[in-house]
Amino acid sequence: MNLSTRRTFLRQLGLSAAALPFLPVFPSLAQAAPGGKPQRIIFLFTPNGTIPPEFWPDQTGPDFQLKRILAPLEPFKSRLMTLHGIHNKVRGDGDGHMRGISCLLTADELLPGNIQGGSDKPAGWARGISIDQELKNFLQARPETATRFGSLELGVAVPNRADPWTRKSYAGPNQPLAPLSDPYALFDKLYGQMKDRENLGSVLDEVRDDLRTIAAHVDPEEKALLDQHASFVREMEQNLQSADTANLLFPPPQLEAGVALDNDGIPKISTMQADLLVNAFANGMARVATLQYTNSVGQARMRWLDIHDDHHHLSHEPDSNADAQEKLVKINIWLCEQLAYLARKLDAIPEPGGQGTLLDNTTIVWTNELGKGNSHSLDNIPFVLLGGGLGFKTGQAVRFDNVTHNRLWLSIAHAFGHHLATFGHKEFSQGGALELG
Amino acid sequence: MSVSKHFLCIALCQMGLALAQESGEAIYAKHCTECHGDKGQGVPDECEDPLEGDRALPSLARYIDRKMPEDDPDLLNADESQRVAEYIMGAFYSPEARAKNQPVPKMAFSRLTNRQFRESVADLIGSFGKITPPGEGSGLKARYFESDGMNKKSKQAFERQDTRLDFDFGGKSPGEGIGDEQFSIDWEGSLLAPATGWYEFRVSTPNGARLYLNGERHDGDGNRRDDSGGKRQPAFIDAWVSSGGEVREAKARMFLLGGRAYPIRFDYFKFKEPRGMVRLEWKIPRGEWQVLGTPHLSPAPAAHVAVVNTAFPPDDASEGYERGSGISKGWQEAVTAAAIETSNQVVGRLSWLQGVKEETPEGLRKFVEDFASRAFRRPLDDELRRKYVDSIFTEGIATDPAVKRAVILILQSPRFLYPELGATKDDYTVATRLALSAWDSLPDAELIEAARLGKLRTKEQVSTQARRLMADPRAKAKLGGFFERWLKLDLETDLRKEAELFPGFDAALVADLRRSLELFVERVVWSEASDYRELMQADYLLLNERLAKFYGVPTPEGGGFELAALDPAVRSGVVTHPYLLARLAHHNQTSPIHRGVFVTRNLLGGILKPPPEAIEFNDDHFDPKLSTREKVARMTQNTSCMTCHETINPLGFSLENFDAVGRFRLSENEQPIISESEFETFEGGKIKLRGARDVAKHAVESVTARRGFVRQMFQAVIKQNPSVYGPESLAGLETDFVKSGYHIRHLLVDIHTLAALQGIHTRP
Repeated sequence: MNLSTRRTFLRQLGLSAAALPFLPVFPSLAQAAPGGKPQRIIFLFTPNGTIPPEFWPDQTGPDFQLKRILAPLEPFKSRLMTLHGIHNKVRGDGDGHMRGISCLLTADELLPGNIQGGSDKPAGWARGISIDQELKNFLQARPETATRFGSLELGVAVPNRADPWTRKSYAGPNQPLAPLSDPYALFDKLYGQMKDRENLGSVLDEVRDDLRTIAAHVDPEEKALLDQHASFVREMEQNLQSADTANLLFPPPQLEAGVALDNDGIPKISTMQADLLVNAFANGMARVATLQYTNSVGQARMRWLDIHDDHHHLSHEPDSNADAQEKLVKINIWLCEQLAYLARKLDAIPEPGGQGTLLDNTTIVWTNELGKGNSHSLDNIPFVLLGGGLGFKTGQAVRFDNVTHNRLWLSIAHAFGHHLATFGHKEFSQGGALELG
Repeated sequence: MSVSKHFLCIALCQMGLALAQESGEAIYAKHCTECHGDKGQGVPDECEDPLEGDRALPSLARYIDRKMPEDDPDLLNADESQRVAEYIMGAFYSPEARAKNQPVPKMAFSRLTNRQFRESVADLIGSFGKITPPGEGSGLKARYFESDGMNKKSKQAFERQDTRLDFDFGGKSPGEGIGDEQFSIDWEGSLLAPATGWYEFRVSTPNGARLYLNGERHDGDGNRRDDSGGKRQPAFIDAWVSSGGEVREAKARMFLLGGRAYPIRFDYFKFKEPRGMVRLEWKIPRGEWQVLGTPHLSPAPAAHVAVVNTAFPPDDASEGYERGSGISKGWQEAVTAAAIETSNQVVGRLSWLQGVKEETPEGLRKFVEDFASRAFRRPLDDELRRKYVDSIFTEGIATDPAVKRAVILILQSPRFLYPELGATKDDYTVATRLALSAWDSLPDAELIEAARLGKLRTKEQVSTQARRLMADPRAKAKLGGFFERWLKLDLETDLRKEAELFPGFDAALVADLRRSLELFVERVVWSEASDYRELMQADYLLLNERLAKFYGVPTPEGGGFELAALDPAVRSGVVTHPYLLARLAHHNQTSPIHRGVFVTRNLLGGILKPPPEAIEFNDDHFDPKLSTREKVARMTQNTSCMTCHETINPLGFSLENFDAVGRFRLSENEQPIISESEFETFEGGKIKLRGARDVAKHAVESVTARRGFVRQMFQAVIKQNPSVYGPESLAGLETDFVKSGYHIRHLLVDIHTLAALQGIHTRP
């Protein structure tokens, strides 16, 4: 980025030009090298299927109406697409919920194992890498797209339990990745060293001060050692100050302190995780992320919506139970609002060194373990693609005729320039990438 | 052993004067000062080393007669040499003379050693919760369940104690009341870490297992549904999900402090897989992979230990013991990193730390105040409260970050890092010293209370406290460190022998040997009698089956390490422990030099300077028909070598009845071993050593040897030069040591007491 565009950019950010000298090493600016716009992707997972009549638009093509569940996305209607007719056809060991999450991003059968669900045979972990990790490896292998973390695996209220119901990202066969559900721990991971340095700066000053006070009252031998100590402290302070110039372009979000990491904390955790994720993207720390709400068979009790039953339990109720259906619609609306919040956040930040906003270069893939809760169907997974990261033709409701979700992952990989012939199960990759352009 | 290397007199005295009437001083002035200086201080470009050592008078006189002046050793006759020796002995050569000549040295101003830093932090944070002493190492409490469905522990079938975490149930049930197909087991208790360092852990199972180690207690820990959302404690190793019935391995490592107990829980379940099997192994520092079992597992519960695992640059150990004698940039950075690491631990666990359950601002303030006062080992005065507490909380920053900053500040404070800071010595100084010398740690609440009440003012009061501290496992851990170094158990290099010559002497056997020696020392030192003589002269070893077999001793009953009585004419305490004998040998043959140096320095209290030139022992240079003894004798025969080797060699030769792995032998290359030799003692006598037993006997009977033991222990524990405590301090301790029946722990209490009261006005 040249100086004048940087100035414009800073003005957009509301930063003064005085901050300029401290900017040159920002990774997100460095990324804006010639060679095209950055591409980012977020896989957002929610559990227990959707309520199809309130989710899928009745129309196909550019003239479509958003139903109740997708209504929160109204401001982004031209920048999203719904994808009907895509099925998770992976079978084999493990119950529908296990396959629903653990085969979602991996698109292949589970390994045999010792985890028994409510039906089918016991199963173990996924047998292959998940699409998010495949993309991460692809991007990390190239210096122009490599970032500090490559990918971030985040969660909201994912239980402290590692099994095929709670994991969707895999680095390879038998290598599940744990989503980080604690925003404070995530904060430490992203900014911990920086915060420690900040703390240290002020502490060192006081340490040196105390060393001086004491040194005035001791004999020469002690004083010599204390003086030496003080000079080491001074050196460290100076190193810290020079490191300070490598500050972040976007300051870390202020997290509310003391939010309980339990069921009732979910709304706040959700916002905090979204804020942290957007900030990490803006600061160029990663280009791939997963964000997982609870787990398959997720049992959140959304008391903040005045719904006191757990989500999974409700999802088993038949279509005829109007009360349960209404609650499930409300739950899914709330989940959709979380997606809308994330999209708004991304859209509020200008692309560092580029055109448009972060959202213009980011695609959020909203997906689910099931198509429909009470039938445990893995057909018609409710897919929404939102944002401009991949150059797909947004602003339309798309209908496919009974295609596998392997092919969707191929389309996304190809959009990143990663021209895989198959992904996951070979047979289900037949037909290649879906036409989304 | 040292007379300075060379008496290099250039000036030649050719006058042939009648010297007989001259005094030793006059002779010295005439013939010796040119190289050695008028006070034996040395002369540049001549003999630079000061003329000092610990030879006894007859030995010194003989040495001078034979070798001095270096260019004309015949100049002085025996009588004249004797007078010179008497003169220099009293004037500056002997340790006593040196002590007399020099002002009593000052106590060295020191920082915390690395061990002291880690131990202090563990006890500092532990003081807000619980510090649990290690329980009996008899195994883990095991509960066996029938399971309902995959992972519900539905019905406890039985409970028992398991001593080893290695199970292969095949396709069968683990015991009565449980089916073959699905069951669940949990093991619970504490892990006893024998040493400080990195530990590796490895879980192997075709089924499901989770290891929890050194975690905090969480609600839901005991939940019998393994998939319960109430289980909050993060697993250290999670191998819960199987993969096609294959045995999987999962590994992780953790830094632990030796001598402490850590909470451990191991959860396991089998569900329909053809085979039920689970094993938990560990690799201790300087150890090999082995199944985790007794004596390192205890059914007793333990509280979390706050362990700092930041790497520190090593402490200065040039004097044979670790001390905090200097600082470096690397050290300051390590302290900073450790302070940050600790601050994260504190903030992450505030809710467990006593008194801050609600995390109110008042609670946090109180916590920081207590934290500072415990870290500084004394109550805070107004100035310190302002600096370390008020300044943290006046800036209106949120609570957790404030605590974090406070912890970083306090642990970086010179008041924590330099325990003897400042000129004022008071009751809290005594408490500080006692805790450091006994534990390498902070005073506990009782000790601080005693200081507050002025109950550390008499020798009796202080030694009573010292005895109390000695009864704590932390004292055992610290003392274990001394013996480890003293007996060469701390060497990093592998102990290996040529496999063809010594089949069976493998890594597992070496690990057993180490253990055998550690257990022996522990048994003697912590027994009622705590008798140094037993340490030197015991006629038994502690052996397990593998060792008994290798060393050709009937396998002792009992399964573990048991007492094996040996021929008292042959074996003698640590002197002939096969670990030491093997450690002090080459990979294919014995090394009388290594053994002799060890006996001289560590067991007889002698001081050896480094050899003037290092000569590698090369077997090929010798006639193969010669014995090892003959080869060594030839190699060291010249006079400059013999200065020290006249001491080293006979000691090494008397252990020649033990081969390079410490097995007893009567011959070498079909030639009978000659282990007899004449040895000139440091006291000036001549004794005949007929073998290892005589060496051990001498180590007990020689006052220099006993004083040497006292000195080494003193240095390791106090980390100061004993002369600081007066020229007679070691002699006094040694006298009381003998009076107490060579009681090692009694000696330690005396050392702690003496050092704690240095420079403090005591009441009688």
